[in-house]
Amino acid sequence: MAVSDIHDDAAEASRSRGGFAPLWGAVFVALICAAPLIAVAIVAVTGPWTDYFGHIAGTRLPVWLANTAIVGVIAVAAAGSIGSASAWTVARYAFPGRRAFEWLLALPLAMPAYAAAYGWYDLTQSTGPLGGLVPVVRGPVGAGFIFAFTLYPYVYLLAREAFASQSSEAYDAARTLGCGPIEAFQRAALPMARPAIAAGLALVVMESLADFGAVVHLGAPTLSVGIIRAWAGEGSVADAARLALVLVSLAFLIFFIERFQRRRARQAAASGRKRPPRRVQLSPVRSALAIGLLSLPLMAGLIIPMGRLGWLATHSAVGRDLGAALWHSVQLAAISGGVAAILGVIAAYALRTRRLPAVLAARLAGLGYAVPGAVAAVGVLALFGWTQDGMDAVWTRLFGMPLPVLLSGGILGLIFAYQSRFAAAAIGPAESALARITPTLDGAARTLGAGPVEVAIRVHWPLIRSGALLAGLLVFVEVLKELPATMILRPFNFDTLAVTAHNYASDERLGMAALPALLIALAALGPMIWIARQMTRSERLVRKEAE
Amino acid sequence: MKGDLLEVCDAVVSFAEGRPAVDRASLSLTCGRVTALLGPSGSGKSSLLRAIAGLERLEAGTVRFAGKTWSGDTVHLDPEARRCGVVFQDYALFPHLTALDNVAFGLRSGSSAKRRELARDRLASVELAHKAKSYPHELSGGEQQRVALARALAPSPDVMLLDEPFSGLDRRLRAELREATTHALREAETAALIVTHDAEEAMAVADQIALMNKGVIVQTGAPDRLYLSPVSETAARLLGDVEAFITRVESGRASTPLGALAAPRRDDGEQVKVLLRPEGIVIDRASADGALAQVTMRQAAGGSARLSLRLENGREVSARVPVTDTIRAGDAVRLRLDERFAVVVTA
Repeated sequence: MAVSDIHDDAAEASRSRGGFAPLWGAVFVALICAAPLIAVAIVAVTGPWTDYFGHIAGTRLPVWLANTAIVGVIAVAAAGSIGSASAWTVARYAFPGRRAFEWLLALPLAMPAYAAAYGWYDLTQSTGPLGGLVPVVRGPVGAGFIFAFTLYPYVYLLAREAFASQSSEAYDAARTLGCGPIEAFQRAALPMARPAIAAGLALVVMESLADFGAVVHLGAPTLSVGIIRAWAGEGSVADAARLALVLVSLAFLIFFIERFQRRRARQAAASGRKRPPRRVQLSPVRSALAIGLLSLPLMAGLIIPMGRLGWLATHSAVGRDLGAALWHSVQLAAISGGVAAILGVIAAYALRTRRLPAVLAARLAGLGYAVPGAVAAVGVLALFGWTQDGMDAVWTRLFGMPLPVLLSGGILGLIFAYQSRFAAAAIGPAESALARITPTLDGAARTLGAGPVEVAIRVHWPLIRSGALLAGLLVFVEVLKELPATMILRPFNFDTLAVTAHNYASDERLGMAALPALLIALAALGPMIWIARQMTRSERLVRKEAE
Repeated sequence: MKGDLLEVCDAVVSFAEGRPAVDRASLSLTCGRVTALLGPSGSGKSSLLRAIAGLERLEAGTVRFAGKTWSGDTVHLDPEARRCGVVFQDYALFPHLTALDNVAFGLRSGSSAKRRELARDRLASVELAHKAKSYPHELSGGEQQRVALARALAPSPDVMLLDEPFSGLDRRLRAELREATTHALREAETAALIVTHDAEEAMAVADQIALMNKGVIVQTGAPDRLYLSPVSETAARLLGDVEAFITRVESGRASTPLGALAAPRRDDGEQVKVLLRPEGIVIDRASADGALAQVTMRQAAGGSARLSLRLENGREVSARVPVTDTIRAGDAVRLRLDERFAVVVTA
């Protein structure tokens, strides 16, 4: 997740030895995150072979792969340009409304891609108000653009931070060496921000690959859809796991390319002191142009789809049990957010010790974000299956009958899968919060008589509180929007808003899908506004300090 | 290009409400000569440098080079069109480019092979040919500074602007690079401006020094003249220690506890300030003339020692003696004033 990457380098700089160091905690977090993935790999290799794979290899698999590629390429190209252009505008120019745009531009993250897909498809289909005026938003191209407009904030947030913290002198140097403004942007500012942009794009592409709802609705089934079909349609966990392995390999490839990029970035950031750039005041005409351009992604990613969903919702019947679904969604999201915040802080502490096993464990946990929800779910299913088998065997030996079914997924399974996927998102904010606590601060407290635990409570906690809250809210928003893992693992008759919306949409009852989809966006919007403002504020503080 | 002039006239740069960062500053630079802009931090030196480079807009005043207006009421030539080489305070090397590519960045004419060759020559001239393939983070502070210098000089700019180019380096390296840099600047025959807050550095590198304080250029001139004939106490303090005595002119002379000196072109009765450099306080133990003073403290300062002396009226002054001198704290001495190191200014 975006925030997890933001202050990574700063955290690196101020890790200390000694102090409160829950090594076991880090290993525990890593196990939670890695276990489902390991289970997937084991099932894929050892599970029974059906002819399913042979069957799809020549028919559906190529289509899934092609769609995955098209969706990924379009999402990357479009989100990359939208995200970096808007970040540059906000970071380097002054115009009326800039401060509002700073955080407004992050808000489309509150809109689940499938909800945006419902809204845009309904607007542009032949019977919709825009029907015939613009191309219908459907197929892999349409899905690519939906992802671009709902996920560009990842690129925007990371690139903005990079541009804002870039020494303005490099850009100025390019100007004095004969480059015009655009050439200086291309040759100096953009290459220096490239690692940050790449990190954002990796998140965009991983989320796009992991999506289920939008690609199904827009008729562009990707590998992620294949996994769920293999599990739901064929009932084969092993085949689902094999497809999952293909998807994970793709995700990891992207993940490692991104890490490799950032290795160079760390070096790049090392030279030179920083002089934060002063923003260039735009003329009224150019200000209007900037405001217009920045409004576009905000409109396309949030306001227009939200408006259409609102219109649809008020013109359709209200589905049954929406109240229960809302409650389930918020409940799951809140529990997961709380657990993730705790795990994130534990992992961040482990990272702070710099001890190799702890760092390895925390980084392993960080890989979880590259694991699509459907894959995590299949892994959790397999794990629980084995555990149940094992306990059955013991129970039968003891009591002569099998154990009543305890672990068939359920709430626990869901939370497990969410953690394995999103705990990585919680490590980053906790880590950057801890990074502000320099070793000398620990030293001061220790010499004043505080023990390691007391230091953690009296010095660290007050300083990392808002970081932990940020981590928890990020996971809250992600879980609220999550669809594929929830679909696979939810207990019988336990619907969330995301599942309800998806079910109505699959039944061609888009009107009834609109309200739950809108509710997700609305429930996510509050925390997202807080997150966006918090990030903007902390960036301003960093800037002030530098000045 | 020799003899060409860069002229800054009444330049005003302001960032927000309140006092402008640069307040009606005037300055002229000549090709082949090095000018130092000396002032405490926050005095507007860097802002003036950035305005000359075109990185800041002037609110009033002009910047002209060889008869062409770079900045004026209605004109603002973009930085890329000014042919100003700038060495930034943090060097601003492009972290994604090698040393060679950094130097080649500003070269725009000729084939790419030719440009690289030129960049290689430039790098060799700062004795870094062997570091051509290194990235900035792989270079030491001094090497980074030299790459920045080579990069700025590569396009053969008409004007070179250096913003505190030695401030990030340790003492020894600073002296070494100072010499190499001034040599390179004189060789390039550009009009060079070095911004610094270090008086010693300014005097070592510059043919001409402009003193800047609170956005205003208070005095411009050759280093020796500025040291010996400051126009005000502020100007005097920018270049080093000074004792100031407020007094009235009587019969054409201004008297101080250490003696009197001629105050030409001053009316009798006018209140003036006598500025006296530490070198102008002569210590005489044998003589019966001169002001009586007691040594209150002696501090070692390299080849010389700094003495704190209390005059009979209670006033403390400081003076320097060679380190071989045996005067110590507690000694009583006689002081007199050496007119060559004293000047009378308006109070």
